Amino acid sequence: MNAAEIQIKNVSMVYPVNNGEDILALTDVNFDIQEGEFISLLGPSGCGKTTLLRIIADLLQPTSGSVSIRGQSPRDIRMQQKYGIVFQSPVLYDWRTVRRNICMPMEIMGIPKKERTTRITRMLELVGLQDFGYKYPFELSGGMQQRVGIARALALNPEFLLMDEPFSALDEFTREKLNEDLLSIWSKTKKTVIFVTHNIPESVFLSDRVVVLSPHPGRISAIVDINLPRPRENSIRETSEFYEYVTKIRRSFEGV
Amino acid sequence: MKNKVKNLLWPLAFGIALILAWQFGVFHKILDLKPFQLPVPTEIASTLAANLPKALKDCGVTISGALIGMIIGSFMGFMIAAMATFFPKWGYGGMIVVTALNAVPIVALSPIMNLWFSTGMAQKIAVVTVVCMAAMAINAYSGLNNLNPYSIDLMHSVAANKWTIFRKLRLPNSLPHIFTASKINIASSIIAAIISEYFAASTSGLGFGIKDNLRKAEMAMGWSYIVVASLAGVILYCIILLVERDALKWHASQK
Amino acid sequence: MAIAKKEQRVVAIVWVIGIIVVWELAAFLLKYVVHDPMAATKLPYPHAVAMTFLENWKMLLEAGAVTFSRAALGFALGTSVGILLAVFMSLSKTMERIAFPYLIVSQMIPVLGLAPIIFNIVRDMNVSRVVIAAYITFFPVSVNMLSGLKSVEQDKKDLLFSIAANKFKVYQKLMFPFAMSYLFTGLKIAAPMAVTASILVDMLGSKSGIGVKILYALYSNSSNIFWASVLTSAFMGIISFYIVVFAERLCLPWQNTTPGKEGVRA
Repeated sequence: MNAAEIQIKNVSMVYPVNNGEDILALTDVNFDIQEGEFISLLGPSGCGKTTLLRIIADLLQPTSGSVSIRGQSPRDIRMQQKYGIVFQSPVLYDWRTVRRNICMPMEIMGIPKKERTTRITRMLELVGLQDFGYKYPFELSGGMQQRVGIARALALNPEFLLMDEPFSALDEFTREKLNEDLLSIWSKTKKTVIFVTHNIPESVFLSDRVVVLSPHPGRISAIVDINLPRPRENSIRETSEFYEYVTKIRRSFEGV
Repeated sequence: MKNKVKNLLWPLAFGIALILAWQFGVFHKILDLKPFQLPVPTEIASTLAANLPKALKDCGVTISGALIGMIIGSFMGFMIAAMATFFPKWGYGGMIVVTALNAVPIVALSPIMNLWFSTGMAQKIAVVTVVCMAAMAINAYSGLNNLNPYSIDLMHSVAANKWTIFRKLRLPNSLPHIFTASKINIASSIIAAIISEYFAASTSGLGFGIKDNLRKAEMAMGWSYIVVASLAGVILYCIILLVERDALKWHASQK
Repeated sequence: MAIAKKEQRVVAIVWVIGIIVVWELAAFLLKYVVHDPMAATKLPYPHAVAMTFLENWKMLLEAGAVTFSRAALGFALGTSVGILLAVFMSLSKTMERIAFPYLIVSQMIPVLGLAPIIFNIVRDMNVSRVVIAAYITFFPVSVNMLSGLKSVEQDKKDLLFSIAANKFKVYQKLMFPFAMSYLFTGLKIAAPMAVTASILVDMLGSKSGIGVKILYALYSNSSNIFWASVLTSAFMGIISFYIVVFAERLCLPWQNTTPGKEGVRA
């Protein structure tokens, strides 16, 4: 195997609290991510999965330990504009239409106008919003807004796609549909994806590997390889292998 | 703790620097002013000290007029907001009229009140009342009507009537807005009272004092009236803040 | 409890008509029932005032235009300075520490009380009109703009941070557009105040402007002219407010405007 794309070494994160009892959000986290891999960070709330994602994205600095990406720091990668992030909430700019929301990061990255327009049109088709390009965010449902957020991140054609519980506010039907869409997009682009979730079947369905985290203090309790065949469709959720993976991961939480 | 010290020291240092610059003629140089046009702080202070009883008496006249007007106006404004809430369709139109009234310049109100009322005090109270009424009505209306989603549904689910909804839901919800209006009204009531005194039949009060002293070219006295008016405003504002902190312990803005 | 837009407009028109009718009635009662000898001065018939306005509309509008244009100039000046200070305060914590307490305390200083003093210092009617209007505009604009710049959600900033946007881009693409609705809240408060300031300076000894007309009419006992001038100045305040409301609708089409949205008044 080649040298890992992303190396996470001894990462710890401590939030100081006034009464002296510091919160250990992450303690001594170690693992590697390969190029083109789809990784899920899975765990209950308070396990530090979002903190870990934000450290990889250079939105937070770890108290100790280090993250190295292709031998560089997260800051270097961020300055090279190689991240695409999808947040828990859609984080749309109210004053911009859907098209101009998707456009915004590309403006900052200095992508030529013509290229922007083609990418926006392609992305809107990809997330099934071609008829909503000129609507304002307040005219869209929650699920549609979230899809705009995903389209915006994908339009950047990022080398690293970081997703922080992007589907957690959606209903089950929309979520499964978007899971499938996400996989088909990923299979075409083969980017490295780090996907934070608290939904076990979702993590199994999407990932090559699931990193299971447990809280108090936040730490890795298991890393599970998912050897289900690709391409995956929603029918795979009905197979016994899928069920076994879900059960295995659920059991890894017991006794925590 | 370090931040608290910084929060206090920076503005304090700035204020002292400003007063020193004023005292030693920096502003006079920049704006090309003679000392008699812009008296220096020590002169204002000594003038104020020498005329303190008179200044306090005038201050009392203005503030009492402002406070009475503010209380009457706030009460009327709240009643308007409550009426508009109970009769939403017609009340909404009424609120548009009140919003327009809020934009009417105080200086246009003042001469009208001079025609309607004969004593300076009554004129002052009338002007302040109108000014405070509009601000209170607008704020209270938004407090009575911008409710959390579902809170009305919750009330309906236990078959609460209009009056109960008003008492248990709308009234507490409007409290922060009422305090906002009160803070606005403290400042504007003093300004309205002073402006009314500029034009009214008064022979006392801060507004009269400022105008009269400036006419007689007693600039330092005029300035000391401004200082007294500002101090009175700050004190009243602090009183409202204290009451607010006590009354709104549950509100997010107090944390 | 959504009321249809069209119905709202009908209700508002009925209100205005109702007020005029009540006014007519009150004027009638004052004259023929209370037998007030000063009735024509205290509360003239609105139709009589309207006639006076139509007869003198040119003079009134000219005077109004003088006052209004000075107010607008001061308003523009105060808005620019206010926005500038807000940006400085949002860029530098120290700047905010220094300036913000004074912004709050200064809302207690009777700014309009300073009008005669500023007039005495500047000695020029037009300059002091602009200065006072600018001064009074400055505070609500600055406080509301700052509160807008500080209310930008962290997620929205993180998004730009994650693609390494520089400070200028962050302000251009995010902070300014976001703070616009807050800015307009401040402008709506400030606009009528700027007009008030301008009229007040008129009255303190100017040679032109609507305030002068009010004073002249008052001293010369021409009550219909007085009332027409007072109503003109009242409308100037109201119009200034609705100009800002209109500008807001034009500039911020994504906003669902709600009536009676209050801001920080300084």
